[in-house]
Amino acid sequence: MNVARSSGYYRTRYGEDFALLDTKTQKAWCAVFVAALLAYPFVAGPLALDLANQVLLASLGAIALMLLTGYAGQISLGHAGLLAAGAFTTGILFKELAAPFWLTLPAAALAGAALGVIFGLPSLRLRGLYLAVSTLALHFIVIYAGGEYETRRGFSTGIIVDPPRLGDWALDEPRAWYFVLLAAAAATLLFAANLLRSRTGRAWRAIHGREAVAAALGISVHRAKLSAFVVSSTITAIAGCLFAYYRGFVSAEAFSLYLTIEYVAMVIIGGMGSLLGALLGTVFVVLFPYAIDAAMNLLGLAERLSSVVFAVNYSAFGLVMILFLVFEPQGLVGLWRRAQDWFLLWPFKQRPLAGPR
Amino acid sequence: MPQNKSAPLLLAERARRDPEGVAYRAKHLGLYRERTWREYAALVARCALGFRALGLQTGERVAIMGDACEEWVVADLGAQAAGAITYGIYPTASAAELEYQMRDGGAAVFVAENQEYVDKILPLAERLPGLRSIVVIDDSAVFGYEDARLATFAALLDLGGDADCAALEPLAAALDPASPAFIVYTSGTTGDPKGALVAHGRHLAAAANLIGHYPTLAEQAHRTVVYLPLCHILGRDVAVTLPLMSRLVPHFGEDIEDLPQTLFDVAPTVLFSVPRYLQKFAAQVLIGIGSTSPLKRAAYELAARLGRTHARARWEGRSGFPLAYALARATVFRPLLEKLGLDRLELAISGGAPLAPETHALWHIWGVNLVEIYGQTEEAGAIITGQKGPFPRPGNVGTVAGGWELKLGGGNEILIRGDHVFEGYWGKPQATREVKGEDGWLRTGDVGKLAGGALRLVDRARDFIVTAGGKTLSPSFIENLLRASPYVAEAMAIGHGRKYVTALIEIDYDTVADWARSRSIAYTGFTSLARHPEVSKLVAAEIERANDELGRVEQVKAFRILPKALDPEEEGEPVTPTRKVKRALMLERFKELVASMYDEREERLVAAGAGEVLD
Repeated sequence: MNVARSSGYYRTRYGEDFALLDTKTQKAWCAVFVAALLAYPFVAGPLALDLANQVLLASLGAIALMLLTGYAGQISLGHAGLLAAGAFTTGILFKELAAPFWLTLPAAALAGAALGVIFGLPSLRLRGLYLAVSTLALHFIVIYAGGEYETRRGFSTGIIVDPPRLGDWALDEPRAWYFVLLAAAAATLLFAANLLRSRTGRAWRAIHGREAVAAALGISVHRAKLSAFVVSSTITAIAGCLFAYYRGFVSAEAFSLYLTIEYVAMVIIGGMGSLLGALLGTVFVVLFPYAIDAAMNLLGLAERLSSVVFAVNYSAFGLVMILFLVFEPQGLVGLWRRAQDWFLLWPFKQRPLAGPR
Repeated sequence: MPQNKSAPLLLAERARRDPEGVAYRAKHLGLYRERTWREYAALVARCALGFRALGLQTGERVAIMGDACEEWVVADLGAQAAGAITYGIYPTASAAELEYQMRDGGAAVFVAENQEYVDKILPLAERLPGLRSIVVIDDSAVFGYEDARLATFAALLDLGGDADCAALEPLAAALDPASPAFIVYTSGTTGDPKGALVAHGRHLAAAANLIGHYPTLAEQAHRTVVYLPLCHILGRDVAVTLPLMSRLVPHFGEDIEDLPQTLFDVAPTVLFSVPRYLQKFAAQVLIGIGSTSPLKRAAYELAARLGRTHARARWEGRSGFPLAYALARATVFRPLLEKLGLDRLELAISGGAPLAPETHALWHIWGVNLVEIYGQTEEAGAIITGQKGPFPRPGNVGTVAGGWELKLGGGNEILIRGDHVFEGYWGKPQATREVKGEDGWLRTGDVGKLAGGALRLVDRARDFIVTAGGKTLSPSFIENLLRASPYVAEAMAIGHGRKYVTALIEIDYDTVADWARSRSIAYTGFTSLARHPEVSKLVAAEIERANDELGRVEQVKAFRILPKALDPEEEGEPVTPTRKVKRALMLERFKELVASMYDEREERLVAAGAGEVLD
């Protein structure tokens, strides 16, 4: 149930409780934000536009992992494998059958769903670290299969994928990609937000809380776990398909274990159990290396450190992760909420409502 | 002309004129259920026919006990439409008070809000021969009761069949506007409560005088929250009568305990309140400010300083600093009031008891147009005087409202003459004569002063303190200063026939507990907190502050903190259900505490000396 943030919002129908945007202020801010997003590609330079596209693309995977880990509480280290599965499905279908995007996209989704079942099966028996290792094993299987395909078919450097076409029009321009990815990200976000408010989403939170209690409440733990894996994998595979088209190139090397770690970092830095956290984490993780680069340039260290630029990047990233885990386990969304509370409670620190006697 | 009508008739007319307009909203399971005038009238009609089916005769009494809720109002109007006389009983009334009012009023039907009140009435039912039926509104906890008299409110409505709003018209048309409609029991600070009988037409005309004094109620649509007890005349005005004659839409909360949430949900534009709530809210805000971060507190202090200057200028009729104040209001006071749901108030009306000028001023500083009214049960729902505002200077109760002639009689007692006078006390002709008098002037029993057309209340005539030194003091003036402290819930000044003034203090548990926590003072409950020496020091400082504003003879020289909270629900407590202090009972109950404040060695010596001579 929504909790109104400002006075004077009384509900006369339960439908009003379901509204994603409640108060006028919320609606106004949302409109401003959407307008800014739509105007962005017309003011941003080529690099800024590419960065935005990367963020939007990564946000799909981050939301998917947030559903699985942040809400359903299932640890997965197979995220890069799932992205690879989507990308390879697209690449293989394109290369072998010259399939158009409206075939490769659902095929990738199907492959993701099927893998989701396989990834999810161990979760019915395993928990915590053991589950993480089993998903990691699956990651290697997918990457190995992709690599094998590349070598056997002689695409040892990777598969080249042409931009998707619709009649004469080809999706090859960054600005067009921006709107496609924005639509995909928005659709995923809405889907996830609504799913979380449904029976399925509530079941996920319940098994996250405690499986025995969830089962006692009549929730089928097995079904909830499998559905979490399937939904998450499907979204991730779709993201992999889009990734293949956006890059125009699929290669097993692009889906290293580091990519998985990046996605896990997005979820943790963003803040567990929050879709907003997934988005904030994506922005942070995608932009972080560029920010480090910019910082090094600004300090004039770029020349001297050029040989160790990756090491600097990785260690800075690791440091930030540790700092977040220690000082703000709630992640960026925790910072955001605290800032929001500061303004929402103004001029108080706590709600002054104990009520009269 | 309202005096030729009755409340059920007004409802029937409104349902015909504006069937789909929203009459009120009542929160139920998280939703504010909207009732249109048509639905409201149909409910009242079914209820009235249900009462008739129970055998209720014209002129019989129906008692209703419980917190303010939608069904209370429907039952009240339903009983009136059936020709009965209704009266409310305070939800906090003790068993003895309940029995007294049931006997005195002689109700044939008792309507209970929930099982709690059923449990209160059932043990008494054997001793009440007139009581035929007990109707329970919320029957969710009523199981295993085997009493033939017990029925649910839903069953009562079912007895009324599927009557629609048209069914109300013949019922309402049959009512004589001059016949009695309801009884309101006075709070009874001295002696047993007296039931003031009010007729249909007279009550409507009386309530119209309130709208005449505050025309905004009729000019534009307003939201208000119903939380004051409906058995009180002010509560009845707000929940039942005014909505019928104005554009005020009452809102009922889920539960009276949820009042802060209800206020926040509804964001009322008009609020009727009593000083106790206004003071409680203000104290909560001040405590919240006290514990906030330094930056936020600094912002508040700055705004409050400006607000004080501006409020003072406004009282004097100058413009003050409208721009700077508008900024302070937008950045600090509006967000502050918003947390309480009071940011959209256009008119806040305080009545029922004298409002401390400090509390009044604080609300003005925050930008709430708070006005004080003065009226009594005996005026049938009318007000005698009210501050017009906007932002009137605190300290008086405003100008005389329409329909009254007012003069000060002997000892400056306020006397009034006009149309809106109650019929008389139920079954107490002697008491009626004492108040109504032969000359047509109603004796209010309050002492006042007139200054510049505005009335200032001094005190209840019989409450004056005459000290041993012969000085006449007003205890409520002293008590109001003491109560202005957020840490003091109740104060009673003592000094009649004594050498100096002392006070009994009831601490405000919530605020003092908060204060104690912030200073790591350990306590286990009310009594341990009340006995703590640090709390004693805190109260002493508050009294010192009040003493600065008092004349030398008025100053409180000693005080004692009550070891327990005053609870009106307990048997024989020295406080009325509206939490007015029963002075004589207080002195009796806490006589050791009082005696300990007066060092009487001198008197004893004199008495001892005199005794030897006289014997």
